This record gives sequence, structure tokens and C-alpha cells, in this order.
Amino acid sequence: MGSDAMQSKRTALILLLLLVASRPARAQVDLTGEWSPRVYNTHMDIGDYTGIPINEAGRLRAESWHPDQLDLPENLCRPHPIDIGLRVSVSQLRITTEVDSETRQPVGLRLHVAWQEPEQVIYLDGRPHPSLNAPHKWSGFSTGHWERNTLVYTTTHLKEAYLTRTGVPKSERATVTTRVHRYGNLLTIIFIINDPTYLTAPYIRESSWIFDPTQIIPPFPCEITPDGTIIGAGKVPSFMPGKNDILADFATEYGIPLESALGGEETLYPEYIKKMKTMKVAPRTSTEHYRRAQ
Amino acid sequence: MAIGRIVPLTVALSMLLAVHSAAQRPADAQGRAPGSARAAAVDDYTGYWVSEVTEKWRFRMLVPDKNDYIQVPLNPEGRRVAALWDPAKDEASGEACRSYGAAALLQVPGRLHITWQDDNTLRLDTDSGTQTRLFRFAPPQGQGVSSESKAGGSPPSTEKPSWQGYSVAEWGGDEPRDRRDGQGGPVQDKEGRLVVDRAQQKQADYLRVVTTRMRPGYLQKNGVPYSANAVVEEYFDVFSDPYTKNTWLVVTTMVSDPQYLVEPLIMHAHFKKLPDASGWDPTPCRANEPR
Repeated sequence: MGSDAMQSKRTALILLLLLVASRPARAQVDLTGEWSPRVYNTHMDIGDYTGIPINEAGRLRAESWHPDQLDLPENLCRPHPIDIGLRVSVSQLRITTEVDSETRQPVGLRLHVAWQEPEQVIYLDGRPHPSLNAPHKWSGFSTGHWERNTLVYTTTHLKEAYLTRTGVPKSERATVTTRVHRYGNLLTIIFIINDPTYLTAPYIRESSWIFDPTQIIPPFPCEITPDGTIIGAGKVPSFMPGKNDILADFATEYGIPLESALGGEETLYPEYIKKMKTMKVAPRTSTEHYRRAQ
Repeated sequence: MAIGRIVPLTVALSMLLAVHSAAQRPADAQGRAPGSARAAAVDDYTGYWVSEVTEKWRFRMLVPDKNDYIQVPLNPEGRRVAALWDPAKDEASGEACRSYGAAALLQVPGRLHITWQDDNTLRLDTDSGTQTRLFRFAPPQGQGVSSESKAGGSPPSTEKPSWQGYSVAEWGGDEPRDRRDGQGGPVQDKEGRLVVDRAQQKQADYLRVVTTRMRPGYLQKNGVPYSANAVVEEYFDVFSDPYTKNTWLVVTTMVSDPQYLVEPLIMHAHFKKLPDASGWDPTPCRANEPR
């Protein structure tokens, strides 16, 4: 048995080595450079949860959110997590190669976004994600790999934040899988957000950028206004359940059934158009609903 | 080692390497994709797909109001034409398909059915508006040369404008990376041909479609116009998401139309793969309905 077993193992090893040796070189596309956003914002209105597979818990939290919370001193310079920063803010993007400070070997890519200057390092050197108990950050922790010419990376350890700038929440349990495609001078990024706390299905969004080597991303200094200047100290504006008196403004303004405006997985599919026709729509009026300029 | 053991091992090894090599890149001895576009397909786009509308929801699941074009970079002429939108007039004049043209068809919520019409033509049918798009690849002899000649060429001069226009297709992403010799010149062989070794050769990984010869249509249901001179460039990708294992098709669309746009409009749409035709619901073109 001994000789045959050794021979089999040796043969298997040779086959394995041949297979590994015959793998094509990694076909990385050069993603580095300056990218100018072509991002068209939606979800600018309170009560606009359209297209989001939100669950009841998420809806309850979103309905309690008050836009004046953005003016709380602790929130004035609060950055977006990187996934929402790339989708909804002034998202001029710079991608550079991340180099290990000691070995000078490339270990991944670094993303820099204009608004609040978040930075995200995507490690491509096979390192593991940290323990579940490791600190959560605005940029999370990202590791990736190449699928042919597509960069695919997964981000964990993100702080609790928002899916939109109008209070739809995203929990600290959320993970984001991101796919980056370069088509010549066009960059498309697909975000697949999975949040078992507030979503019933992954939330998929896409954004695009155009290569712009002359782009200059200005610095983004942010100073916290002294406590109490905008919102009185000790006050956190919010709505109690069922007491949000601006929740229906978006639906009323655009002639949408309120239930539809508040999202949910069912509302994402074409069949829902027929169902909407049977639903009650409030008489359309122009409202003074909250809309964020930024 | 006995010869009787070496021969089967060699055969097995050869077969394994052959299969593995073919899976890596179906290519002939010159590294060119063999045969038809269908044989060289980098991904399987065929089957039934359903829209999942997660962005621009109120512009897609409803008919937006006239002059609501906040997300479209219209120029003054585009705004003037958008203000003329009259769906009843479109219905009466047989122009109800204006919002189902190639530039915006994939924004309309609905189902897709993608099949190979022949070895070099990928066919996309929609149930919304009951439209058909044909993506024409170049015949085999044109493959693997240049980007232009790889695609399905230019529309024939006799091609009349239509809602879906004339679409040329290619598998994209396999352009070799630049390679320079010590003097800064491209690496060439003795006959002056570019030398592209495997390290420089990327694998194709998306479908690129360029459409022209369209009848004037709408970018949104509410009459936001594109002209007969518009060019639509689309990139199709498929992937499986790691959470649900669903297969998705994502389409990035860039519409260039200097007549009505100040810059190209970039749109996205994604579709979930379905196991069968269930839910397929053909509708006629309707000027004042979301689908």
C-alpha cells in the first residue's frame, strides 16, 4: 500500500501544481485615478422610502427620524459610511494603490471621496476580516478579489448609519458587497447591501463615474458648531410612533399611495403597478415637505 | 514506473489540462475566440428576467408629471420639447411606443426574455410594450482583431429608423494591456506584429451594445425627448449575489444626444433571473401608463 499511496499522492500533487501553474495571470483592470460622479440623487424627501425593501422595524425607525437631527452638534460633521457616501453625497472619487508601509508591496486599493473625506482601503492580499467584536468604523473593513476584470469586495464592521439621507436606517449588522466595473472611461459601482435588521432582501443600487484625470478634490474642513447654536442642548428632535405629521407629504405631493411611498419588497416589482391602481391616493396638494439640498 | 501506468496518467493529464484550458479561454492556436459569438459568450444572458426597481422609482413605477425631469441633463431645446408632451396625441398618432424605444426600454418595469436568435444575434424581448431588440455580433472572421471590427459593424445604409434601432454587440473587456520594450516601444515580433502574452491578455467579461438609427423617443414616460441622432451605449453584466444566490443582470446605459442633452445621460437597471416564463404579461405600447 505504501508505495502506491505515495505514488498517488505524488501524482495528485503534480496535477495540482500543473493546474495552479496554468491559471491565467490575474486580469486586474487599472481602476486608479480621478473619477467624476454622474450620480443622480433620489430619496430627498421625508417619507420617500420608495424602492427600498425595508421591513417594519426599519420603517418604524425611519418614521421617528426628524430632519433637524442633522443639525445636532454631534451630527454636523458626522460622515456618511462609505457606501452611502459614494451614492448620495458629493462623491468625487479618487482611487489609489494601497502600499504596505514596510514592504512597499501593493496590498490593495484606497478610495477617497470628497464629502467629509471618507477613506476606504480594500485589501486584496487575502487577509481575514477582524473579529466580530472589533470596532465598527464609517469605512468598515473591506477585503476583495478579482472576478475576471471586476473588482468584488465585501465590507463589514460598518457603524450604524442610514440608507438614505432622510432617515431610513442601516444597522451595524449590515454588510455591503460591492462590484466595480470599468468600461473604458466609465466606472460603474454596484452596491449590494444586506441588512438582516432592517431589510427583507438585499438592496441593490448602482452609480457611475467618468474618468477625469484633471479633477481636483478640494479639502472638506468641517467645524462643529458650538453646542446649542442650532438645536438646543439636550434636545433630540424626533417623532413618536404615529405622530409624524410630515410623513405623508411626499406621497401627497406626487400622487402616490402612502403605503407605496413607504417602500417594502413587494413595491419593487412590475406587478405592483397593477396593485397600486386599486389603492387609495390622497388628493394631490403641493406641500412644504422637508427636502435636503445636500 | 511501469509504462502501463504512465500512459493513462499522461492521457488523463492531457485531458484535464485541455478541459481546464478550454474553461479558461475558449481559443484557437492564435488566441482568438473561435467560431460564433454564441460560442465565445463570456456569460449566459439567456432566460427570463424581471425588473427590480430600486432607483428612480417614482419616475418608473408611475408616469411622472409633465416637466418633471430633475434627473435628466436636458438642454433648453430638450426642455422646450419636453413641455410639449401630450400622451393622448401620441396615442392618436400611433406614436405610443415613444417611451419604449431602445434608449429607455430597460427602464420600463417588466420582464425580459433573452435568447440566441442565431449564433451571432442575441435577441431581447420585453413584455412591457411587446418590443424586440436584436444585438448583432460580427461574423466569426471579424473577431479578435479590433474593437470596431469585433462589433457587428455599422447599420446597412438601407436600415430604416425604428423604435429599437440597429444594435451592434461585442464581448468587451479583453483588450490586451499595453506592453513596452526597454526603449519604450510596443513589444513586437520579427514581422512587426504586436506580441501579447498571456499576462497582458485580459479575459472578456461583459456585453457591450451600441445602438443607433432609432426613431425619436422618450427617456422617461413623460415625454423627455431623445432625438433620431442619439447614440445608446450599454454594458451588460451578470453576477450572483452572495446573500440570496440570486442571479442578477445589471445594465449601465449611456445616452449621448447633443440635440437635447448637455452631457450624456447615464442610467442603470437591474433584473433578477427567473426560473421560467411565469408572470410574463405582454402589453401594447401605452403612452400614459408606467408599463
